[in-house]
Order: sequence, then structure tokens, then C-alpha cells
Amino acid sequence: MEVDFQQLGEILAHTVGFWWVIVPTIFLGLIVGGIPGFSAANTIIILLPLTLAMDVEVGLVFMVALYSSSRMGAGIPAILVNIPGTAGAAATPLDGYPMTKAGRGQQALAMSFVASTIGGLLTTIMALLAMPILAEVGYYMHSVEMIVVMLFGISLIATIAAKDTLKGLIAGFFGLMIGAIGTDVVYATPRGTFGFLELYDGVPLIPALVGLFAVSEAFLIIEQDSILTKRGRELMRESSWAATFEGAMIALKRWWHIVWTSIIGLIIGVIPGAGASIAAFVAYQQSRTYSKTPERYGTGHPEGLIAPESANNGVTSGTLVPLLVIGIPGGATAAIMLVVMQYHGVNFGPTLFLDQPEIGYGMFMAMLVTYFLMAFTILPLSRYMSRVTMVRTVYLAPMIISFTLVGAFVPREYMFDMYLGLAFGVIGYVARKTGYHVAAILIGVILGPLLETYFLRALKKSDGDILTLFSSDLGNVLWVMLVLSFVAPMVFDRRRKKKAEGKTS
Amino acid sequence: MNSSDNNKKRALGGELVIPVCAIVFTLYYFITIIDSPWTAQVSAFFIGVILLLLSVMFIIRCVLQVRRGEADYSLSRLFSGADIRSGRLALLAVTIGYIIVIDYLGFTITTFLFLFLGMLVLNQWRNKGVIGVLSASMALGGYLLFILAFDTRFPRGPFEIFMKAMLGDGG
Repeated sequence: MEVDFQQLGEILAHTVGFWWVIVPTIFLGLIVGGIPGFSAANTIIILLPLTLAMDVEVGLVFMVALYSSSRMGAGIPAILVNIPGTAGAAATPLDGYPMTKAGRGQQALAMSFVASTIGGLLTTIMALLAMPILAEVGYYMHSVEMIVVMLFGISLIATIAAKDTLKGLIAGFFGLMIGAIGTDVVYATPRGTFGFLELYDGVPLIPALVGLFAVSEAFLIIEQDSILTKRGRELMRESSWAATFEGAMIALKRWWHIVWTSIIGLIIGVIPGAGASIAAFVAYQQSRTYSKTPERYGTGHPEGLIAPESANNGVTSGTLVPLLVIGIPGGATAAIMLVVMQYHGVNFGPTLFLDQPEIGYGMFMAMLVTYFLMAFTILPLSRYMSRVTMVRTVYLAPMIISFTLVGAFVPREYMFDMYLGLAFGVIGYVARKTGYHVAAILIGVILGPLLETYFLRALKKSDGDILTLFSSDLGNVLWVMLVLSFVAPMVFDRRRKKKAEGKTS
Repeated sequence: MNSSDNNKKRALGGELVIPVCAIVFTLYYFITIIDSPWTAQVSAFFIGVILLLLSVMFIIRCVLQVRRGEADYSLSRLFSGADIRSGRLALLAVTIGYIIVIDYLGFTITTFLFLFLGMLVLNQWRNKGVIGVLSASMALGGYLLFILAFDTRFPRGPFEIFMKAMLGDGG
């Protein structure tokens, strides 16, 4: 499967001709990505009759554009009102929202857009060039390796817990325990479900996300007239186009940070079953671990925003690799793309790139063109989007509650999920008021069930031998990297202190 | 001890809510898996035991702080008169009402009522006209975008059924 650059150029030129599909889809993607419950996957399912009726190329361009733009859209409410549109954006508000509160929402949006665009463009090119190698990553990532990848994400709990370790760990483990609700993966025994059939499949993610972030936030922001600080309001009133350029420049100056965190996203994206949320948490954790200023994370640090945004956009291109090369969808959206492609009689595997290059390479080109067009269509909007933070909280809070709670209903259409969203809202409210981090709870809820699934698979395969966790070479390399990511901050911290002491003496 | 000393004390009652909930939930969870196969127990026991240990450690830390006179078990950090004054409790009641009623009245009417009441409560019953227009446009906008355009399966009620009849299959 050698890459013919002339052919790629021709396909790129051909794909640019679909701008009339891509541009409106970008705006649709921003809307569906920004509202919890309306993921790209849900929207594609809703519009499936339309997609199936389209010409296969137009349909695929539409789906790819929607997928990419919704990923970027999910970060917008995460930054502006502390509400991640999807689980993939759950790490974005950690540093994005403090920036907004300080009146730097416009800069934060611009940073996020630039990081997402560069991350998306770069990983799409990488995926194109290294497709045969990347396609094999999935073969090497078994249960044991996935356990370590999950632990990378879960170790972010310890990072978040830095201010009050005990409270941070309680929040994280409470989340893991909540994530363990539902039937076990082997014998389907119900556990901790309070007798609710609706919880047999586990705790649904969207109500947890909506409750912990959106509902609790809505009940908190009404304490003030605005979500902005007094100084933040002044800055917002004075802000001009220059703030957008300032944000873009801040991100561009950190180009290397965007590169390596988006590669984390790409690698995690090619692993079937892993997703944007894991990539974002792992990228944030790694970014903080190797940062020279880890203490600034969580306070509105640009790198804390850039890392999860470039990583979760890196996932989008990664997801296409196993889908096209081996016919295994890496996530829900890719699974729906698979259905559409099969409906149109598209064959997967290396022959796809030989027989129908306009589809095989065309999907990557559609992603490339989408990210490129997003830079020009979305970036100028950051000035206007950030104005939402000027709306008084007495109007904003009820809007947040109503639209996000209904969003909790949409994925499964259970009224129960709206009540669950409210229950998580109460937990989130109590946690925030008393100094527990809701992100730590959410990390547990998201990654806990995945960790358990891989853990049980590994144990079942090895007849309960716990040493199987250290039985693979790649797994052991990852274990060493995990240990290093714990040790490195301590070493860096000690070095910094020594340097500081040296300067003072 | 005078009143100013009391004011300086850290109110730990609220901080104990999450650990106490965690303990109660973990014990309940253990009860539900006590007779289950090992696959259902192994990770839950592992996580649960750590959570219990962490929670107990936190409670002990709190007790010691109270004994030293640095804190008390007050819930003031969690509940205060401001909850009533700011309309937070009223908003919670309206939210519960929203979830109950939406099943019967559907998305559009219930969202309008919720937004109208919620904003009025928070706005101390002022600006009724503005709030009425804002609530109606938000509810109708939601209907047009999510139900009419995307055909999303939002809870349907009399308004959605009426509009569907009016527009044919569109709604």
C-alpha cells in the first residue's frame, strides 16, 4: 500500500470540490457537538436515511465533516460555561473555564480552535502516510496493554488531587465505584443498581456528564450576576479582534506541545474501543507531568487547554485507520460510517485504496479539507461566541438546565436518565461546594467500567493469574512509562526547588 | 470561646457528605455482590476497599480537627440562607417539576414553563415581559431545531402532536 503523492494531490483537489457540503456541515457539527447528548454519532443516525440516499462520496464527506467539527464543537461550551459537549471534551474545562472566568474566553476559544485544527490536520497527514504501520497498533494492544493505557488516564485523578490528596482520591474512587454500577461483563450479574433496570447497562455517560458539570454549574453560577469575575467583565467589554489573534499566537507558539499531544490522540484513536475521552485525559496528564510549570495547571494554563483539545482531535483521524484498513470501527461514529459504506458495497482493506482510492484516501482528504476550512470559518467566530459569557446568570442557568437535561434523555430516550442527570447534578453541587473535584468523579465514571472490562478479560484469558498483567513486552514498556510519569514530576519538582534555592543563595 | 473564634472554624459538615455517601454506597454495593461470581466481585472489592479506607481516613482527620478546636460539624458551607434568597431552592423545585411534567406536556410547553418560572424566580419576579418573550423564543427555537429539523426524539406532548397534525409528517 504505497503512497502515490500525485494521486493524493488529485484526490485532494477533487475533495475540495465538496466545500458546499463541508461548510454547512461544519456549523451543524458545532451545534450537535456543543450540546450534551447530541454527538456526531446520534446526528448521523438521525440523518441516516438522508446519508444513505446520497451519493457514497457525498455521504462520506458529510459524515467525516460532521465528525471532525462536532469534536471541535464539544470544546466550546466546555470552555465558556464549564459544560463539555461530549466526554471527549471532559478535560477541556480544567483550564479552559478558568480562562473564561478571568475574561479570556475569546483567547481560550482561539487557542482551542488552533490546537484542534493543527492537531487534526497533522494527525490526518500522519495517518495517511503511516497507515499500514498504524493499522497494526490495534493488533498489539490487548487487554493488558489497554489496562495500562486506562491507568494513564485514571492517574490524572492523582494529578487533580494535588491540592488535597485525600479529597481528590475520594472523589476519583467514588467515581470508579459509581462506574462499577451495572451487570458484570462475564456473567451479567446486576451490581449496585438499586433495582433500576435502566442501570443494568451501567451508568449512562451523558446524564453523568450533564449532571456533574452542567446542572451543578447552573446551580452554582446563580450566586453571582455573571460567570465572569469583575475584572473578567471589564476585559470582555474591552476585547477586540486582537484577543482572537492573541489566543491563536499563544497556541502557535506551543506548536510542539500540539504536535506531541495530538500524536497521543492519534495512537489512542487507532485502538478500537479506546476513545477521545481517554486520549484527552492521558494527554492532559502527560502534559502536566512533563511541564515546567505543573502548578499552573487547573488555573487557566494554555498548555492545559491545548493538550486535551489537540489530543481529542487527533483521535478523529486515528479512528479512520482501523475502519478503512481492517474494517474494524474504532468508535460509535466509525461504526455508523461502516454501515453506510457497506450499504454502498464498499470493500475494506488494502484493496479499497487500490480499487476505490477516491473513497479510501478521500475520507482522509475530507478530514483534511474540513479542518482547513474550520480554521477560516470558526476562528473568526470566537469573538462572538465568547459573548455568551456576558449573559446574566439568572437567564443562563435555567437555559443550561433545560437543554442539558433534555440532552440526557436523547441517547436512550429514558425519562429515568433525566432524573439521573439531576441526581448527578446534586452530587456535583455538593462536591463543588465542599472542595471535591467533579472531573475526578467523572474520570472514574468514564474509565472505571473500561478498566474493569479489560482487567476481567485479561484475568479470564490467564485463568485468574494476576501476573498476566506483566506478561507482554509492550505492556511492560507501558508499565515503565506509567511509573516514570509518576516519578518524573517528583524529580522535576526537586530540580526546580534546587534551582530556586541556588538562585536565592 | 467567643463568637469570632467560632466564625474562624472550618465548617466540616458539608465536606463529610461525599465520604459518608461513598461509605454507604460502597457497603450497599458489597451487599449486592456478596453471592456473585468472582468476576463480579474482584474489581469492585478492590476499588471499594480503597474507597472505604480513604473515607475513614478523611473522617478521622475531620474528627481530629474538631477535637483540636479548628473546625466544627456545621453544614454552613453547603446550606445557608442565601440558598433561599438567591432562589436556588426554588429553582431546584422547578427543575424537579420540569422532569415530572415534561413526560406529559412534551418538550416545547414544559421548556417554556420551566424557563419562564426559573428565570422569574431567579430574577425576583421582575421583567416578566422580557422573560416571557425569551422563554417562548427559546422553547420554540428548540422545537424548530431539534424536533422539526432533526426529528430528535424529544419528549412529545400536545403542542408537538398539534404541530405534527398541522404540518403533516414534518413534526
